[in-house]
Amino acid sequence: MAEVEETLKRIQTHKGVIGTIVVNAEGIPIRTTLDNSTTVQYAGLLHQLTMKARSTVRDIDPQNDLTFLRIRSKKHEIMVAPDKEYMLIVIQNPSE
Amino acid sequence: LFNTLAAVRVKLNTMLLYSRSSRAMNISTSGILRLNRSATYARSINASVSRKSFCLAADSKILEKSSVQTPKHTIQVLDENGKDVTPRPVYQPDPAAVQSKHSKIFASDTSGGTMSDFYSTTYQTTTNASFAGAFTRSLFGSGSVSIGSQSIMESMSEEIEDPSSKRDNSISLSDVQVKREEVKELIQEEMLDDMVDLYLVESDTLCLLDMPAISVSVDSMEAESVKERNSRYTELCKNRTGNDKYMGRSMQTFNGASKTKEVQSEAITMADAATIANNWDMYDSFCSAGQGEVDLSTDTDKASIAEMIHQNHGPTRTMERTMSVISSSTIVSSSSSRMEMEPFVVPSESKPDPELILQSEEFQQHLFVMERIILENIYQPKLAAYRQLPTLEGMVLLEESSLDEEGPPTPALERLWSFSCELTTGRNVSSMAWNKRNPDLLAVGYGQFAFKDQKPGLVCCWSLKNPSWPERIFTCQSGVTALDFSASSASMLAVGMHDGTIATYNVQSREKTPVIDSSDCVHKHTSPVWQVRWINHERALSGEDKGEALISVSADGRISKWFLRKDLMKLKRTRNDRFKRQVGEKERKSEALISRQAPGLCFDFHPTDSNIYLAGTEEGHIHKCSCSYNEQFLETYQAHKGPLYRITWSPFCSDVFLSCSSDWTIQLWRQDLFTPVLGFMSTQRAVYDVMWSPKWATVFGAVNEGRMEIWDLGASILDPTIVNPASPGVKLTSLLFATETDCVLVGDSDGQVSVYQLKNFTAGEGTQVGTLEDIIGSTLASQL
Repeated sequence: MAEVEETLKRIQTHKGVIGTIVVNAEGIPIRTTLDNSTTVQYAGLLHQLTMKARSTVRDIDPQNDLTFLRIRSKKHEIMVAPDKEYMLIVIQNPSE
Repeated sequence: LFNTLAAVRVKLNTMLLYSRSSRAMNISTSGILRLNRSATYARSINASVSRKSFCLAADSKILEKSSVQTPKHTIQVLDENGKDVTPRPVYQPDPAAVQSKHSKIFASDTSGGTMSDFYSTTYQTTTNASFAGAFTRSLFGSGSVSIGSQSIMESMSEEIEDPSSKRDNSISLSDVQVKREEVKELIQEEMLDDMVDLYLVESDTLCLLDMPAISVSVDSMEAESVKERNSRYTELCKNRTGNDKYMGRSMQTFNGASKTKEVQSEAITMADAATIANNWDMYDSFCSAGQGEVDLSTDTDKASIAEMIHQNHGPTRTMERTMSVISSSTIVSSSSSRMEMEPFVVPSESKPDPELILQSEEFQQHLFVMERIILENIYQPKLAAYRQLPTLEGMVLLEESSLDEEGPPTPALERLWSFSCELTTGRNVSSMAWNKRNPDLLAVGYGQFAFKDQKPGLVCCWSLKNPSWPERIFTCQSGVTALDFSASSASMLAVGMHDGTIATYNVQSREKTPVIDSSDCVHKHTSPVWQVRWINHERALSGEDKGEALISVSADGRISKWFLRKDLMKLKRTRNDRFKRQVGEKERKSEALISRQAPGLCFDFHPTDSNIYLAGTEEGHIHKCSCSYNEQFLETYQAHKGPLYRITWSPFCSDVFLSCSSDWTIQLWRQDLFTPVLGFMSTQRAVYDVMWSPKWATVFGAVNEGRMEIWDLGASILDPTIVNPASPGVKLTSLLFATETDCVLVGDSDGQVSVYQLKNFTAGEGTQVGTLEDIIGSTLASQL
């Protein structure tokens, strides 16, 4: 448990990381370093996108599954680690 | 017709119900005949029909009321022999029963005395019969209603009764029998001897249907009157039109008032439900259904069904899966209905606790991956440079440099990154080792060299993918001075410590404790272990185990070989070299000899012949030893004036080795010569580490206190080709070449392991072995 906390803390302190969000399957944030409205917005939107991405992957090959999703935009990069029970989201500005 | 004595099959209920209509029943003695259905009873019963002929003895009610009749009024017919052949009435109901069961339908039929009453009752019977009979035939619906009680009875009873046309005469018989007995008694008592006159009388004709003709023949008597009437009627009709006597009047019937009635029902709400069956959705259902089928076929126990359903409820698609489960079941309906019940209960999963999520394995794994990805974002250019992949920055730089520079670009070192974290700051990097199997894994040992400021040592395993946090952290009780990864079991890491302990760690597991520790050994080292190495012996010597063994050299003057035996680390003193002081050389006789053995600081095995190894001592001697001889050195090379910190054979030329010591020099030796071939000195600092480059035979790197140098003997034997000064206040302590890329790792006393890339550096094509040998040869030639 302490290791998890440590790792989360470390992730947050890495260069360029803007925010870290952990939401459960219902979209309720468990851990977040951003404000609530942003968190909820990210969680909701990314949940749908993850569903779609997973559907795409599995449609092509049902034995496959989505493990990671990265969206690189002009300003930052959003990294999503999806799971059945939760979703881990990190927003980073890599060029900082 | 009724003349014929017919009996009717009756049932008790119907009989009693229509007891009124039983007047005309006659029970025949001859047999039971079915009454003709079409028999009708004349409505307009002529007055000729007398009551007498009706044998109304059966109906007690009527008989009671009627003054005319007597209950036992019967015509008795006796034949010659006196037998009573009186035609029995078709039906004689039980008087008691009849009385008790007079139906309400005929409630008004109490008076039956007069004929009119009779008729009325019959009328009523008819109507009532028709009324009561829901299944009234057209028989009753037609104008001519058969009021034949018999027919009624029969038809009614036919309807009501079992269509098997049971003839139940039991009751009637019983009734009859009652009567008959009474009758018989009368006979027996009185009239045994009398002569009786019998009068056969023809019963009256019962007219059942009388349809009077509406036309009269011309010849008949009534013709005249009929004609007259007809003519009168036509006149009447003619007169009618304009006559005042006749008025046409219209009538309006009251229409029934219509009433609107409204009914309102709840609107049927429609909900659209849609689902998309994806490829993977079907695959999921199929997989889980297949799993369910297997379970069902093997075990029909309800408990197991419940378990299976609970297993299936994890993923979201419970409904489809349960449907498929149900459809594929072959269980008895009772259990399958139970199954249908359960899946609908199950979908209410318990929400996983947030804490559980955070503690789960998958979450840790995801965090781990996420961290690496974040770092990759940060370090991507550096790592790409490490891997010698072209980066965008590099491309830009190259273009610029090709335009600007005229001559060949000078070789330089570019600092890529450094492995360090807050755990390691302030610690002295004492040794570094690459993993033999995974060249991206680096083990770094942290420990102080000097005796005075000892603190617990640290071993960190760093991965290239995460330069900011080590993958494994092992704390040791004393400073770490030596490290080596095993080649045979790539996850074994041998650690030598300042207090003489040797421990092996398994870096694959997450345990923080060493696998084996030598602190319990009898012959363990008592002084700092300065070097450990795993050596693979190809040739087994006199019962020793073939395979890899751990060799260590320590300051107590011993080189020991360790074997790992089943969780125990045993020192096998198969080879026990003691460094003898060369008493003659140094005048230390006067001093009290603390020990006769010189501390050994480094050693290196011959790259091809694992029997031969070189060992360097604190006195500056290099001894060439063999594994087979434990007591004596083969050779001794003396040149250095200070403790030897490193000896290393050249990986390309098997005769050449390098040595560095604290006397500011690096010496290049050839195995057969007892004086060094070449000596290198650049600064007046102790050289802590030297290492041949794995790529070029003429290149080696050296680290002294103040700076890091890369020497290229092909370029110059006097000066290092690349010099990289250390940060002020930091001493560089160890050096390691990366095996696959052009990078050098330098560890310093501040706990940082910096990775430098050799830019624009090449010693030439190939390994330059020939060049090295040429250099050596030319040097030797020049010395002569």
